[in-house]
Amino acid sequence: MRSDRQFFFRQILSSALRRRSRMIIAILAIIVGASILSGLEMIYYDVPRQMSSEFRVYGSNVIFSPSSEMDISEESIREALSLIPQKALEGYTPYRYENTKIHNMPVTLAAVDFDSASRTSPYWHIDGAFPSSDGEVLVGAKVAEELSISVGSLISCEQTLEITEEIDTSKISSYEIYTDPETGEAYADHKLDLKVSGILDTGGSEEEYVYMSYSDASYLTLVDRGYDIVEVSIASTHSELQNILSRINQSALDISAKPVKRVTASEGQVLKKLQALFFIVTVVVLVLTMICVATTMTAVIAERRSEIGLRKVLGASDSQIVTQFMTEGLMLGGLGGILGAILGYFFAQYVSMNVFASSITMRPVVILVTILVSVLITGLASLVPIKNAVKVDPALVLKGE
Amino acid sequence: MFFRMVKGTFVKQWKKMLMLALTIALGASIATAMLSVMLDVGDRINEELKAYGSNIIVVPQSEAVRSKLYDIEGESVETDYLREQRIGELLTIFWANNITDFAPISDTYADFDGSEVKLIGTWYNHHFEFSKKGSVYERDTGIINLRTWWDIVEGQWLDEQSIGSGEYAMVGSLLAREHGIKVGDRISVTTENSSEILTVVGLYDSGDIDDSHIYTTLPVVQRLSNTENLIKKIEVSAITSPTDELAIKAAKNPSLLSGDEYDLWYCTAYVSSICFQIQEAIAEASATAVRQIADSEGKILEKTELLMSLITFMSLVGATLGVSNLVTSSVMERSGEIALLKAVGAQNIQITTLLLTEFLITAVFGALGGYFMGYGFAEIIGRSVFSSSVEMSGMVAFVVTVLIFSITILGSIPAIRIVLKLRPSEVLHGGH
Repeated sequence: MRSDRQFFFRQILSSALRRRSRMIIAILAIIVGASILSGLEMIYYDVPRQMSSEFRVYGSNVIFSPSSEMDISEESIREALSLIPQKALEGYTPYRYENTKIHNMPVTLAAVDFDSASRTSPYWHIDGAFPSSDGEVLVGAKVAEELSISVGSLISCEQTLEITEEIDTSKISSYEIYTDPETGEAYADHKLDLKVSGILDTGGSEEEYVYMSYSDASYLTLVDRGYDIVEVSIASTHSELQNILSRINQSALDISAKPVKRVTASEGQVLKKLQALFFIVTVVVLVLTMICVATTMTAVIAERRSEIGLRKVLGASDSQIVTQFMTEGLMLGGLGGILGAILGYFFAQYVSMNVFASSITMRPVVILVTILVSVLITGLASLVPIKNAVKVDPALVLKGE
Repeated sequence: MFFRMVKGTFVKQWKKMLMLALTIALGASIATAMLSVMLDVGDRINEELKAYGSNIIVVPQSEAVRSKLYDIEGESVETDYLREQRIGELLTIFWANNITDFAPISDTYADFDGSEVKLIGTWYNHHFEFSKKGSVYERDTGIINLRTWWDIVEGQWLDEQSIGSGEYAMVGSLLAREHGIKVGDRISVTTENSSEILTVVGLYDSGDIDDSHIYTTLPVVQRLSNTENLIKKIEVSAITSPTDELAIKAAKNPSLLSGDEYDLWYCTAYVSSICFQIQEAIAEASATAVRQIADSEGKILEKTELLMSLITFMSLVGATLGVSNLVTSSVMERSGEIALLKAVGAQNIQITTLLLTEFLITAVFGALGGYFMGYGFAEIIGRSVFSSSVEMSGMVAFVVTVLIFSITILGSIPAIRIVLKLRPSEVLHGGH
């Protein structure tokens, strides 16, 4: 029994060695098929996540607003953000809005951190530059047009402040306190001179605001307070985003998190199409590649009919021959599958790095499926020609007909 | 003699040749399908990206910022308007066919149920006709395709084509909840100019500030604000080419371009050139790109096209290897026949020509079959994903033909050379 098995494996080994070129052809076909399978599968699974990150060029997809009358404190922002997976968080920008006057024209000013604003609103187009230090300001195009200011202009914001306990009057000296004779309330006119570092052009409502740093806004209003709104960019699929939002809304924080429907709904629609595209492309390419692998295997086996005939003459039973050839085929399928899956992973990685500049997630399931499918396809592709080959009369085959 | 031998191969070894043709056809169909989809994917995704709404806004040239910045309650604010009859000029520009949807918009504040509410008047699925210089332009257009993210929570979209542009309204979900408005209700809105009774046909959830507004037809808002035949702005959604260096240069000042550059820019569907042409057509208007939409489209398109082209490249490599593999193996298979030919005195060049002719004839049929098969696959992909057919270009046919012939030749020549080097006696003796 043992020698039988030895003989069996010696036969397979020698067939692999002697018929090197044919074996190479067969295994090459399997490797190509398997690498296309694993590569496309990995890309298909990763496309939604990767694309979602690309879709953040449309701006933030989640808005935090205060759930009570209060503004949002820095701690609650930090806690809410901790509920978002770090990998998915692409950026966030807290905004604080104030009403002020520039050259006697009332405008709304927004206090932001410019670094994070450029990340959450990548579409902002600036003539000039982002403010690089306190004392510099970014002016929306419409405000700039109205006030006829350009890059480099000096503007001054004037604020009429009601003197209340919140205000730290000792901080500044450049104001005058006066009292309204009718109501008896105390007011102060506070001024802040700023340099325009850039004009913001978006084609949207952002052009109607004036943007400055938090510290300038606090200085102007003499109040240091929290934020009115936080724009958050999260790269995730639609259902994941829903989970994140409900986690934040259920937490005891004073934050209500809402999706920006225009961005999320449209993105969902486009992503669905894209994924459907990659799905069907993967299926079509796969089916065609599998048929290619199958025809190659058929050709390789059909060629060995004389060998089968000879073996039959020497007394090998049909089942022995089928077992031997099938083992050969399955081993080829397994080996080709393993090599192809690895190659496919590198291909997917290459694509991902080139297109999205981020690495692809290694999915063991994909590797496993690839190997199984390769073995299965090779097995099926070998079975039919082998069955046909053993049916043939050895005398005819050996005679060369 | 030569042709008899070629004929002989196809008659006696038809099974093998059929298998070869089939594999070539498969390779050719992968190449055809992937290349067609790749060349078309940009346009298709561009159409899908229209889901984000308008990418161009047309406003009166001297529109004052004041009207938008302080919607001071009850105070009438001086605003500039566009004339409604000028809307049609949009359809006369060079890139008119790229304008997929547009809608004029006018708004006003009105007194509703004791509170101040913003009313927006626009088109929904308006049938628009415009004639100029003897040509007639027709479009069905409106806001339905510019607000794809809206959910109609109750009722339906205001269908102008069946109920007309009369006293109907759609109410934001937030406002509806606050005032207990339902579909079918008749609501009354009043301004200093007039008073209207509107029938609610739908409630919508937009996820933004519009949830507290009322959308109605254009004539209603015009009557309420006493601005007959005037509109505040036009939202335009156009299919555009991604912004590149030329577009950036032109956006700053088109008059700085050289003649050739100007022509190229003008005749490319950049968002800046479309805006420029709209301003040419409607002199009193200023058209600006909505950067959030216009700039982002280009970036998403670029990524999708790159991804698709890499996948196509990979599929092409796969198809190439698959076909050349089988070509090589079918040469190997015929080593006995080749040796016999050599033994009876055939020259190498004769044998090579014979084999190549046979393979190329097979390749012609394979490639032809594969091309149409691939066309079918491309059609399936186009229909099932984008519900529109994929455009076939002559370039694809050319590339596939070149590819298949070079694979066949490159795949067979090395194998033929190897077989020719073998000594006939050994091969015929069966010692290979």
